[in-house]
Amino acid sequence: MLDDNLDPTISRNVSIESEESVTPMGKASINDFGEVYSNYAAGCLDPAFCLLVETQAALRPDVERALARAETIAGVFLENEAEAELTAGAVDKAFALIDAYEAGEQSTLKAVKHAGEGLDELLDLPEPLRETALQSFQSQKWQSLTQGIRRLKLETGSVAEVELYRIEPGCTVPKHSHSGSEFTLVVAGGFSDESGSFGPGDMCLKGPKDTHQPTGDMDGVCFALAVREGGLRFTGMMGVVQRLVGQ
Amino acid sequence: MVLLSRKGCNSHGLGALYEYEAAQGKHVSLETTGSDPTERERLADCVEQIAAARSRAAFAEVFEYFAPRLKSYLIRLGSDASSAEEIMQEVMLNVWRKAEQYDRRQASVSTWIFRIARNRRIDSLRRTNKPELDAEDPMLQPAEIEQPDITVNRAQLEVKVRDVIETLPDEQLVLLKAAFYEGLSHSEIAKTYGLPLGTVKSRIRLAFTRLRGSLERDQ
Repeated sequence: MLDDNLDPTISRNVSIESEESVTPMGKASINDFGEVYSNYAAGCLDPAFCLLVETQAALRPDVERALARAETIAGVFLENEAEAELTAGAVDKAFALIDAYEAGEQSTLKAVKHAGEGLDELLDLPEPLRETALQSFQSQKWQSLTQGIRRLKLETGSVAEVELYRIEPGCTVPKHSHSGSEFTLVVAGGFSDESGSFGPGDMCLKGPKDTHQPTGDMDGVCFALAVREGGLRFTGMMGVVQRLVGQ
Repeated sequence: MVLLSRKGCNSHGLGALYEYEAAQGKHVSLETTGSDPTERERLADCVEQIAAARSRAAFAEVFEYFAPRLKSYLIRLGSDASSAEEIMQEVMLNVWRKAEQYDRRQASVSTWIFRIARNRRIDSLRRTNKPELDAEDPMLQPAEIEQPDITVNRAQLEVKVRDVIETLPDEQLVLLKAAFYEGLSHSEIAKTYGLPLGTVKSRIRLAFTRLRGSLERDQ
């Protein structure tokens, strides 16, 4: 399965290896040494993908273990790091920063209190999605797409579009395609589309050519986290409207 | 290793550092300079004191241990000395702010602080990678049905990783460090160390087989 003669000059962008790993139990397992996890631990994974991976870890113990292992490795290397010389008075500066922070904290607390209604459902989301959603909710509102379908744009600092979808049972997201890939992680409830059914912790990947029309399962409101490169193109009636309004 | 981390701040970036490191035949073996269990307990106590009593003495102790290491880490990643110190200060302020969130049953202080530093780094350096995934990738596979009462014992897992990591051969350690601490992709590692990509992958895989251990069932 492994080829030691692979040309090292072949540039492979970050990818999770496709080879399956085998545990001592002889069973295929999550590929926890893959680049997604090392990139995540080392802090160079795109923020949108960080949010995806962390939210999936909150829902799946196997992913959580992979992250815990990756972060522990990084922590051990930090402990073994050389000690750089600090500038004189570095610790005094740290205390000055703390004083400034403590003084400013009161006003931030007031701002959070005034964030408004509609927070209840967001409070049930797993961290870190909860915090990101709550933060975004202060500047964005739920946008109603069609009957029973709402979305909230999340601000992660990524160039990718990140949105939280709220899909009511039996309601359908308008048929759409994407200009890039779309990763959708089911956070609560479930949805089904042409390719199957997805439950909490499952991730649905659609390529640029795929068109789909997800419908919320009947067992409760579905929340799904979508990360997408490029825009969303609606191909049904919504598409006409979208083109008309020039979005 | 000490000197090498300073070398990392030149404009050639990490590549030059690794070539140098490889040419010198340097080892990455984890020396006993890392924290011992008593020290780790002490640091965890300190963070709890910051959370409970806003203790400045406890903060000073955490600062003394981590600030110089964080600065080295940031320089290693390519920051110059003055911005490394600036980012380090912000990370340490976050340690103060987030002390309530620290849970010693979940992670050692170093893992927790590294996480804060890492997130700060995402904000500041923006050297971010976007994974290329396909439908076969494990991340996209459906969840195995797990009993709901199985929770991950992170403390146990961390102890396991710490025990095993010290026994790994240098040839595996150096690659773990490059991937999980410095954030190089497998192909970047292959290029820097002049190793075939397959060797890089198989060594990291070997290390992981041991880190996972036989006690723990992954699925």
